[in-house]
Amino acid sequence: MRHITVTINGERYERDVAEHRTLLHFLRDDLGLTGTKEGCGAGECGACTIIMDGRAVNSCLVLAMEADGAALETIEGAAAGGELSVIQQAFHDHHAVQCGYCTPGMVMSATDLLRRNPNPSREEIIDGIEGNFCRCTGYQQIIEAIEAAAGATGTAAGKEADHA
Amino acid sequence: MTRLRGAPEPKAVPLLHEFSYVAHRSLDELLSFLAHHGDETQVFSGGTDLFVNIRAGLAAPRYVADLKSVSDLHEIAFNEREGLSIGACATVNELIANDTVRDRYAVLRTAAEQLATFQLRNRATVVGNIVTASPCGDMTSPLLCLGTDVVLVSVRGERRVPLGEFITGVKTTQIATDEIVTRVIVGTGRIDAAGGYRKLKRIKGHDLGVVAVALIKSMPAVRVAISSAAPTPVLLPEFGADAPVAEIQASAQAAISPIDDVRCTAEYRRFMVDVYIRRLMEEVPA
Amino acid sequence: MLENTPVAELKNVGRKTDRIDSVVKLTGEATYVSDMTLPGMLYARVKASPHARARIVSIDTSRAQALSGVRAIVTGEELDYRLGLYVVDKAILAKGEVRHFGEAVAAVAADTLEIAKRAVDLIDVEYEELEPVLHPLEALKEDAPLVHPKLGEYSYMEAAFTPKPGTNVANHTKLRKGDTERAFEACEWTIERTYTNPSVQHVPMETHVAIVQWGHDDEVSIWSSAQSPFTLRNLFCTAFGLSHRNVRVQVPYVGGGFGGKAGIGIEPLVAVLSRKAGGRPVKLTATREEEFSLLPCRSQLTYRIKTGVSKDGKILAQELTMYWDSGAYADYAVNVTRASGYSAGGPYDIPNAKVDAYTIYTNKPFGTAYRGFGHVEFFWGLERHMDLVAEAIGMEPLEFRLLNALKPGSTTLTGEKITANTGNIAKCLQTAADSIGYRALTDQEKAREKATGLKIGKAVVGLHKAPAMPPFTATTVILKMNEDATVTANLSLVDYGQGTYTSIAQIIAERLGFPLERVKIAFESDTDRDPYDWQTVASKGLLLSGNAAILAAEDLLKNAYEVAAQALRANTVDLAHDGERIYVKHHPDSAVTFRQLAIGYAFPDGNSIGGPLVGVGRYIAQGLTHLDKETGQGLPALDWTYGAHGMIVEVDRETGEYNVLKVVSVFDVGKVINPDAVRGQAIGGMLQGLGTAVCEGYIYDRKGHLLNPSFTDNKIPTARDLPFEVEAIAIETPQIDGPYGARGVGEHSMIGVAAALGNAIQHATGAQLTHMPIRYEDVWRALGKKEPVDNWITKSPYGSCRSAPEIQKYDC
Repeated sequence: MRHITVTINGERYERDVAEHRTLLHFLRDDLGLTGTKEGCGAGECGACTIIMDGRAVNSCLVLAMEADGAALETIEGAAAGGELSVIQQAFHDHHAVQCGYCTPGMVMSATDLLRRNPNPSREEIIDGIEGNFCRCTGYQQIIEAIEAAAGATGTAAGKEADHA
Repeated sequence: MTRLRGAPEPKAVPLLHEFSYVAHRSLDELLSFLAHHGDETQVFSGGTDLFVNIRAGLAAPRYVADLKSVSDLHEIAFNEREGLSIGACATVNELIANDTVRDRYAVLRTAAEQLATFQLRNRATVVGNIVTASPCGDMTSPLLCLGTDVVLVSVRGERRVPLGEFITGVKTTQIATDEIVTRVIVGTGRIDAAGGYRKLKRIKGHDLGVVAVALIKSMPAVRVAISSAAPTPVLLPEFGADAPVAEIQASAQAAISPIDDVRCTAEYRRFMVDVYIRRLMEEVPA
Repeated sequence: MLENTPVAELKNVGRKTDRIDSVVKLTGEATYVSDMTLPGMLYARVKASPHARARIVSIDTSRAQALSGVRAIVTGEELDYRLGLYVVDKAILAKGEVRHFGEAVAAVAADTLEIAKRAVDLIDVEYEELEPVLHPLEALKEDAPLVHPKLGEYSYMEAAFTPKPGTNVANHTKLRKGDTERAFEACEWTIERTYTNPSVQHVPMETHVAIVQWGHDDEVSIWSSAQSPFTLRNLFCTAFGLSHRNVRVQVPYVGGGFGGKAGIGIEPLVAVLSRKAGGRPVKLTATREEEFSLLPCRSQLTYRIKTGVSKDGKILAQELTMYWDSGAYADYAVNVTRASGYSAGGPYDIPNAKVDAYTIYTNKPFGTAYRGFGHVEFFWGLERHMDLVAEAIGMEPLEFRLLNALKPGSTTLTGEKITANTGNIAKCLQTAADSIGYRALTDQEKAREKATGLKIGKAVVGLHKAPAMPPFTATTVILKMNEDATVTANLSLVDYGQGTYTSIAQIIAERLGFPLERVKIAFESDTDRDPYDWQTVASKGLLLSGNAAILAAEDLLKNAYEVAAQALRANTVDLAHDGERIYVKHHPDSAVTFRQLAIGYAFPDGNSIGGPLVGVGRYIAQGLTHLDKETGQGLPALDWTYGAHGMIVEVDRETGEYNVLKVVSVFDVGKVINPDAVRGQAIGGMLQGLGTAVCEGYIYDRKGHLLNPSFTDNKIPTARDLPFEVEAIAIETPQIDGPYGARGVGEHSMIGVAAALGNAIQHATGAQLTHMPIRYEDVWRALGKKEPVDNWITKSPYGSCRSAPEIQKYDC
């Protein structure tokens, strides 16, 4: 066991953690932040995607020890202040959710994508979410949601226009 | 009819093998640790292979040593004399974002963009892709074409090995247990070469290379390297600018030894190597 | 149901409606079993067989037992229970013999996963390897080893299935319609070919997971990622001889299932671990790798189709022979066989038919339900065959389909008469064809061919499916009015992503005349607190539960009206209501609000009547029958959903690589309840179908080891694998007994996609493909007339999936 300090969604967590613990299991099992999901444990499916120091990563292939001192963003922090983010709202409006198990990772990848590239082409959207498997939706409504979120100004009027 | 090779994969479980995590601040500390514990230590930076292997029961180290805590291994640097130096901790996405790579070593970027997924490339390193020494590593073939040396250090000193000699077989390299690769150096000999990388996948989305060909035209020479068609990526002898495609293809067919496996048959691999060579010869500008 | 339900000016049904469950899923709040922990919970790991068939000589658990933190170890010898949906053939842990690679032979519950894993590693199992039987056609040979030598001693559901003791045949479904022998004699052409597909994996993003606590007095609590809580409870109670009152199954949010979580899975194993650990709760989460071989897959199929056609292109006779590879246990495969048997001819009018569908045991991971329930597999062959026949008789394939399509007055294979309300397959085919410009390449497409050097091909295929379910399939919805006149519905149909709960909420809101915001569907299902539903399978949920929801709403209104009639001193027939109140029609100001009625109406002096308002809606499938076991005649179909896919592909004729440019999917859904949900099902299922068409499939070596049990070598579609353009179109021929005219469409989107791909590739290049998936190499081999790859079972003499056999000589 080693002592680490991590900032998650702006809040500080100090914990003793087993050295072989993955960041994913640290979040889910040690901290109870179960919004981040495990789909394969091998970096193929993207269900465990979080943002670590500004970069989207598969948290199943990161050790908790490596996150000592890092700033993490997980799905639990996406709806800041209780309001859905523009991306979450767009997913909601476009039926981009079915079983929901890939959704947290998908939202984190989309969030990271739109920060890097606020106006992505369809091709660039696909690039951004190619690492996130979704078995239910066939991706089309997810891509449409991200397109709408990219187009949204963030104002209510902007969201309405996209919705229509 | 074709035959498959290979045994069933071992059962994979969550990362349950217990190990100790070490992160040294300085290279000297790390090297002296490896001098004592190298044989029971796995060094990593991105961890995208190591943790997959541990989970699959293919690796069971007592220690994992994190290179990222050593500060001077992250750089991608260029100078006209030495060429492009890629530090052990430089990620594939950092390589893609690098202006010099884009402008002067374009084939590296082309290949890097086809490696796994965006979030994996945020962790996976260029050096890791080489050290893993997988027959299908996406970075190895273009680096072979460009001419690359691997810099190894240990308490015993530093040595510099050509990439083609560094990889010795399927997932085996020249690294001694007390050594690490600190960086690779892509020389200036083929700088600004036009190049291409073609990779056969089973789906449109991310997949490892079922077979892949890298080709550069660094006039007056053409250089070709092939992945997933032999125990190690294969660099062909250099060809002249006006070498007929058939000559390159014949040379490739003599150099590779593909197998039948769950991904593809040897026959199709051989065929696609010829197709890729011809198409790259056509599409890569001289 | 349609005729006596008001449909004018629908306010909720058919309108864009947000999913009621998406916000909790988008914020990570939705709790799945994989997220749950209980006080004192132990973690389980499984010891799996490395062999396809072996005698278990001994199991030594002593070293594992000695490990600190190990709380329970179980092996097969100490368990005397048998499980089975239709044929009771499976032990909880292998006993005496292992029958497939990955089968569980022992299990451990420990304080941590790490300890459980170490303990499993320390269990020593000595095996004597036996020769496995891997291909269903080999398993039919007289000298083939028997996967279940004691088949004759197993109990099974006799009304529907016919196992053959002394063989590897778990079931033989027969259907005889008309006189095929005479009909074939009258045919101008007889065309015969065999089509194959491998086993595939469902790949729900949440793997199977269960927590079980076997408490004192045999009170058992199960939390599971299950599709069918009541069937799970029923099978569990049957296996352990427990009363249904003892067992409680709770299902929270479920991360996908696609049929793979329909029956009973790991729950009994986790239960015996909990019992042995003194009643502490135990959790088992399957790894992705275990999902492939510990848990079931979709069956492999070898399908031989012989079609006789008249001079003018009418199908006169078909002989349809299906060899379903059950794997080691019968599970759902016997019912897949039965359901596929009776719809094996597709949405076509076939006056004379002979169907023999066999479920065959082999030493491989076992087959279960998977979206489409056999239809994805056999429509691959059937719709490839329709193209082959059209080609052979010199008819345009779409014209051939339209000529033979079912229409009012036709009879199905089981003798059911098609009516104008059954649905319109011809319209589906035509619409799909129109949407892809089927008959010719556009100028744009010609220009694209020229620019890319790739050849473009187009295809249209038809499809149908009826729910595969017992004739007595039933469900209940209970609707409870809350104090503030909102309502909460309880039902045990599970919404594991398909979106039915949102549609049910719309139906309830519509029938009550309430705004949607006042309707809640309780998401978690609980067999102690929710009413019965058979299973969440078969695309029957919307129809049956939708009808039950309408009846529940009507019952609640009836109960409310009765109390209102007393309160208002009026006759119920003179009452009407809006969203807020019940009023006297001829004195609209004489009214009582739902709020006043919700928990019982109180007169001003305090006297009260009524009580909390509840509505109950019960619905059971109407008029269905068992099928005659000799002739297959009867009425098995709740409803038929017809559909069609149109596909445009471009193919590299040199390498066999291809791109899917466009897919249009058309379904006669009766009535669209939620447009976005229909679209999500249509596109999601289409891409799942495309995945199995392009690359998915189990690959074994000759000893029966599964070689690709992970995402490394079992790829599934990513966002980049979505065709460049996708479109979903709904046709609305109302289902008379459907809620607001609706019928199910959850599975249909996956059916026929592979055949559309195969046909489009053939139209572009001439490549003759008879096995799926269609890997680039398969196209290349077919184009070059090369020996097909046969690595689904290496060196199998039968070539379970051959890619380019010589096109059969037309038997003209």
